[in-house]
Amino acid sequence: MKATFRGGVHPAHHSKQPTRGLAIRDFVSDTVQIVMNMNIGAPSKPCVKKGDHVKIGQIIGEPVGGLGLPVHASVSGEVVAVDAIPYITGDMVQSVTIKNDFQEEWEELHPLGNVETVDPALILPAIKNAGICGMGGASFPTHVKLTIAPGKKCEYVLANGAECETHITCDDRLMQEHATRVVDGLRAVMRALDVKNGIIGIEDNKPEAIAAMEKAAQGRDGVRVQVMKTKYPQGGEKQLIRVLTGREVPSGGLPIDCGCVVVNVGTCAAIADAIIDGKPVIDRVLTCTGAVRSPANLRVRIGTITADIIGECGGYSTDPGKIFFGGAMTGLCIPNDSLPVAKSTNGVVVFTREEAVSAEEDPCIRCGKCVDACPIGLNPYDMKISADIEKWDDCKKKHVMDCMLCGACAFICPARRWLTPSFKIAKQKITEIAKKEAAAK
Amino acid sequence: MSLILSSAPHVRTKDNTQRLMLNVIISLLPCLIAGVYYFGFACLIPVCVSVVSAVAAEWVWQKLGHKKIRIYDLSAVVTGLLLGLIVPPSAPWWMMVIGSAFAIIVVKQLFGGIGDNFLNPALAARAVLLASWPALMTSGYNVGKFDAVTTPTPLLGSASLMDLLLGNVTGAIGETCKIAILIGFVYLLATRTIRWEIPVITLASAALLGWLLGTDPLTTVLSGGLLFGAVYMATDYVTTPMNSLARYLYAVGIGVIVVLIRKYGSYPEGVTYAILLMNIAATLFDRIPVQRIYGHTNAKKEGK
Amino acid sequence: MSEKKMNLGKVFMNGVITENPTFRLVLGTCPTLAVTTSAINGLGMGAAATFVLLGSNIVISALRKVIPDKVRIPSFIVVICMFVTIIQLVMQAYLPSLYESLGIFLPLIVVNCIILGRAEAFASKNPVVASAVDGIGMGLGFTLALTLIGCIRELAGNGSVFGINLLGTSFQPMLLMILPAGGFLVFGLLLGIINSLTNRKKGGAK
Repeated sequence: MKATFRGGVHPAHHSKQPTRGLAIRDFVSDTVQIVMNMNIGAPSKPCVKKGDHVKIGQIIGEPVGGLGLPVHASVSGEVVAVDAIPYITGDMVQSVTIKNDFQEEWEELHPLGNVETVDPALILPAIKNAGICGMGGASFPTHVKLTIAPGKKCEYVLANGAECETHITCDDRLMQEHATRVVDGLRAVMRALDVKNGIIGIEDNKPEAIAAMEKAAQGRDGVRVQVMKTKYPQGGEKQLIRVLTGREVPSGGLPIDCGCVVVNVGTCAAIADAIIDGKPVIDRVLTCTGAVRSPANLRVRIGTITADIIGECGGYSTDPGKIFFGGAMTGLCIPNDSLPVAKSTNGVVVFTREEAVSAEEDPCIRCGKCVDACPIGLNPYDMKISADIEKWDDCKKKHVMDCMLCGACAFICPARRWLTPSFKIAKQKITEIAKKEAAAK
Repeated sequence: MSLILSSAPHVRTKDNTQRLMLNVIISLLPCLIAGVYYFGFACLIPVCVSVVSAVAAEWVWQKLGHKKIRIYDLSAVVTGLLLGLIVPPSAPWWMMVIGSAFAIIVVKQLFGGIGDNFLNPALAARAVLLASWPALMTSGYNVGKFDAVTTPTPLLGSASLMDLLLGNVTGAIGETCKIAILIGFVYLLATRTIRWEIPVITLASAALLGWLLGTDPLTTVLSGGLLFGAVYMATDYVTTPMNSLARYLYAVGIGVIVVLIRKYGSYPEGVTYAILLMNIAATLFDRIPVQRIYGHTNAKKEGK
Repeated sequence: MSEKKMNLGKVFMNGVITENPTFRLVLGTCPTLAVTTSAINGLGMGAAATFVLLGSNIVISALRKVIPDKVRIPSFIVVICMFVTIIQLVMQAYLPSLYESLGIFLPLIVVNCIILGRAEAFASKNPVVASAVDGIGMGLGFTLALTLIGCIRELAGNGSVFGINLLGTSFQPMLLMILPAGGFLVFGLLLGIINSLTNRKKGGAK
C-alpha cells in the first residue's frame, strides 16, 4: 500500500499537466532585476552601485543578521540601477538591475569536490555562501535549518519530491533529468548532520521521476525512495514527515523536534551544485503554465522578469486575469508582470479572466467536507465562525495556529467560503497580539 | 493590464451548493418515478404543490425581509421534493402548502436560512402535518394499484420481502420502492454528494437491535420509511454532525430510536421522530473532542 | 395632581403594553402555554390572575411597612394564597366548566411569577393606589395576551373562537395547534412578531 495521510483533497488539474513531459529548457534574459529579500530574515544590503561591471556569481548583496544570505549576480554585465521596488509582499524592497552582456563571465569558483569525500564541517558554510534557501517556496535559509540546536538529534533527512501543488512540474523534471545531483545534495546534508537515513518521497503520479531517482539512489549510503499516494498536500512538511517516518511534528514545533529535516529536491540539487562546482544560486528551474501559448519548464536566472518568462513561453494566449507565483493552492498573486522571480519561485501560472474570478461566498451548509479534508484534523468551519466575528482568542482555542494554510478546506468548500484567507488573517492577528503582550511585559 | 489579486487557493472544486442540491434532486427522481408507477399520476399533485410552494415561500420570505434571494441554490426544491415524497399519495394540496411553508419559513428561515436550521425542514414539516392531521397522514393510500383496503404502513402487515423491496406495498409516495431508493443512494455515492457511513450505520444498527428484539433484520431495513430516511434525511448536511466519529454515533442513535419506537412506541413508524431527535443532538455530538489534531499527543488533554 | 394622574396612566399602560408580562417580560409562561387551547380558557385564566393580582397588590402595598424584609416572600405567598383560594371557590361555584378546564393551573396561580414578581418589584415599594393600578394593568396585559393566543389556537385547531364556529364545517382543524407544541409555536411566533415590530419602532425613532 502506498503511504499517505489523513484528509487531503484531489485538485482536478493534478496529474495531467501539459508541462510534465517537457524537458527543462535554458532561458537567459536581457536584463535581470535581483531583489534583496529573497529569503526569510532581514533583506540583504546591496554592495554594488550603478555603472559597476559584475560577473556571474559575484556577491551583489551582503547578508544582514542571523537569517541573512548573500545575493549573487546571476548574469554578467553592467549594473544599470540600484533602487527600491514594490515586491509581492507590498513592501518596498532594494533591488539591483543588471544588463546582461551575454559574455557569461564567471567569478572564480571554489569547488569542494565529491560530496562523499568532502570534509563534513565545510558543507554548511558552503551552503550559506552559495545563498541557498528553501527552493520549494518557503525560502527559509537552508544553513539555518540545518544547524541543529544543542540537545536535539536529527535522525532522518527527507528530500521532498512530492510536488503536490497544481500546475507545477519543475521538481518532477529536475528529478528526471538531474537525479544524481538531487541524491548528491541529499548525501551532503546527511553527511553534514551525520545522519544515516535519507528518504526521497515522491508522489505516484511521477513514475519517470521515481524510476530515475531509484536508479540514482542505488548504491548510495542510507538513501532510499518512497512512493507516496498522489494527494494534496502530500508535500506539506508535516504530512511528508508523517508519511515517510510515521512521526509527527509537535504542535508549534519544528521538524527537528521529531528528529527530521525536510529539504526540497530543488534545494538538494542547489546544495550539490554548491559543493561539487562551488556554484552559488544563480538560476533555478520553474514551470510557466496556464494561459500562455506554449507552457514550459525553464531554467531561468534569478531575477528574470515575469513578462520575459511569459514571452519565452509564447506570450499570453488570452487576456490574463491573474498571475501567481507557485501552484494554485498556495500561490501568491502578483500585481503586474514586471516583477522578477526569486530563488523560491517554482512556478509562474497565468489564469484567464474567467478562471480568475472568485465565486461569491455563500452561507455554510455544514456539509463537513472541510473537516474531512483538513490534513491536520481541525474544524475549519468552526474556526471560520470565530474568525468572521474577529474573536481571535476563540480562533486560538480552536487551534488555528496549527493550520498550515494549505487551502484544502477552501478548495473543497461547496459554499465557496474564504476559509484559508480568514485563517491567514487570524494567524497574523494572534501573532501580533502575542507580540504586543510580550512587549507590554 | 489589471490583474486580480486574491489570497490562495486560486482553484476551487466544481461542486458548489447548487450542484450538490441538484445531485440530490436527480437521485430522488427514481423514487418519484416509482411513486408514479405504483400510485398513478395523481401522486404528482402533492409533490408538485410541495416543491412550488416551498420555493415560493422562500422567495416571498427573502423578498419581504429584503434579503438576498437564494432560491437558485435549489435547497428549497430539495426540501419541497423530500416533503412531497414522504406524504401519502392522496395528501390534499392545501396540506402540502402549509407543510412546505412551515418547513421553509418556520424551520429554515426563522433560524437563519440555509445552513442554520437545526432540524431537517422536510421532516419537521412532516411531523407537524402528522400531528395536525393524523387521519389524512395515515390513510389515503388506497389509490393507483392499491384499491383494496390496506393497512396504513406495511410495518404491521404481512407483505413479503420481495414486495417490500419492489415497493409493491402501501406507504408514502417515495418511500415504498426500495430499489429506487438504492439507485438514488448509489448515485449520491458516485457523485460524492454524501458519504456511505451514515446510511449504512443507521441501517445496520437498526437491523442489529431489531434482530436482538426478535425481528428479521431484512424486514426491519426494508419496511416503512427507514431506508428513505437513512439515505435522504439522515444525511442532510445541515443537521448532521461535522466530525466523523460524531456522525457514526448520530447514525447509531437514529437506528436505535427507530427500532425502539417501532417496538415499544405508540406510533407505528418512528423514522421521522428518530431523525428529528438526533438532529437536535447533532451539535452536541460535535462538542465531543474526537478528532486528534496533528502534533497534539492527547486530544482530550488539549480540549481542556 | 395632574402629574400623579399622568403617572398612574403610565403605570397602567406599562402593564398592558410596554411591559406586557407575557410578551415583553416573558413571565408566567407555564399557564400561558398550558391553558390557552381556547379563547375562553385564556380569558378565564387571565381574569382569575387579574383578580389575584389586584387583590394581592393592594394588600401587600398596604402592609409593605409592616412586613419584615427577611420574611417578605412567605408573607407575600400567604396573601396571594388567600386570593387564589377565593377565586378558586368562586369559580368552582359559579363557573364549574371553566374551573374544570383550567384544572391544576388555577391553584398554581399562587406560584405564578407575574404575581409574586409584581408584589416584589412594585407593590412592596409603592403606595396602594398605584399598586392597584399596576395590578389591573398587568392583569389586563396578561389577559389580553392569553386571549390572543387562545383565539389563534382555537381558530386554527378547532375552527372557532369563543366556541363560535367561524370557518365552516369543511375546515379540517389543525390538531397540532391545540397540542402543547402548538402553544409553543404560536407563543414563539407572536413573541418574534412583537419583538420585530418594537425593534422597527425603535429604529424609526432613532
